Amino acid sequence: MSYESYLTDRRVILTVAPTGGVHGKDANPNLPEQPEEIAEQVAACEELGASICHLHARDEHGENDAARLQEVNEAVRERCDDIIIQNTTGGQSVYEERVQGIRTDPLPEMASLDMGPFNRGQHIITEHTRHNIDRLAAEMREKDIKPELECFNNGHLNEALRLIDRGALEEPYYFNIIFGHGTFTPPSPENVLNMVSNLPENSEFNLLAVGEHQLPLTTLSVLLGGHVRVGMEDNLYFRKGERVESNAQLVERTAKIIDLLDCELATPDEARERLGIA
Amino acid sequence: MTCPYLEYRRSDDDHEFDHERPYCAVVEEFVSPMRADICNDRHEFTHTVDCDIYRKREDELAPEP
Repeated sequence: MSYESYLTDRRVILTVAPTGGVHGKDANPNLPEQPEEIAEQVAACEELGASICHLHARDEHGENDAARLQEVNEAVRERCDDIIIQNTTGGQSVYEERVQGIRTDPLPEMASLDMGPFNRGQHIITEHTRHNIDRLAAEMREKDIKPELECFNNGHLNEALRLIDRGALEEPYYFNIIFGHGTFTPPSPENVLNMVSNLPENSEFNLLAVGEHQLPLTTLSVLLGGHVRVGMEDNLYFRKGERVESNAQLVERTAKIIDLLDCELATPDEARERLGIA
Repeated sequence: MTCPYLEYRRSDDDHEFDHERPYCAVVEEFVSPMRADICNDRHEFTHTVDCDIYRKREDELAPEP
């Protein structure tokens, strides 16, 4: 979890976030929304070296529908070999819907755990109260689901420390540090360095950056001994003015960069070992 | 109650889809998944309060005092 880690332990965990809950096909027609098309794209990403997939589900109109995570999980398991499923528990829906991400059968190996709310537009705020975060963390621990701690800004590091102090999390703590607009940490190399320097001992970190920041800041994450998340949930453009054709296109580029940096992509089993997934 | 300006359409001038998607008749654009929750009064959203587009349109349509 440092530049020294980059020099000594060159296995990078690559997560693909193919869909998300923010954009629709009107923004990019290549965004996969339905279970089969999500699974098809995730399978292509697994072939290229992704070891974790972060999943959301949509209804037939392309609207968010956590109840369909079961269908998405089944389609991914059918199409993929061994990729680790990480279901979302985020978004703006009420707790009873968000908890569906950790109630699929079989259970996912991982789930996202937002460390606090974020704003969208003038009236949307996600309902991530401490009470809800604690309930989700407790259920994940009880079910041996590894939480990825979503830190939308550096204040959310304090919220993660609160969970650690309460003994609610198991080591290693897996952080996803997030950079972008609005409530997110402003995207800059300096802010990445600052966030990483504030992570607690016995942590691993993943980096998510929105839009044009995805490419440079995920590359920086590798140099700092971190892991990377790419995908159309976070970025709809391959480069300025050129829409992403598929999630595999983003994964392929990142895999090439990781190779050029003389690192290797972690297999799903290596990711499990690194993150302490049973 | 859903927003009266919410429609479900397969196409507009720039898009063609396999399934109907949420569309705002005021701004004449497809609606993002997050905004669609407001249009449909899902969760704890109410379009009459939480949608600026709806409120602005209703203000425009209100009779002069």
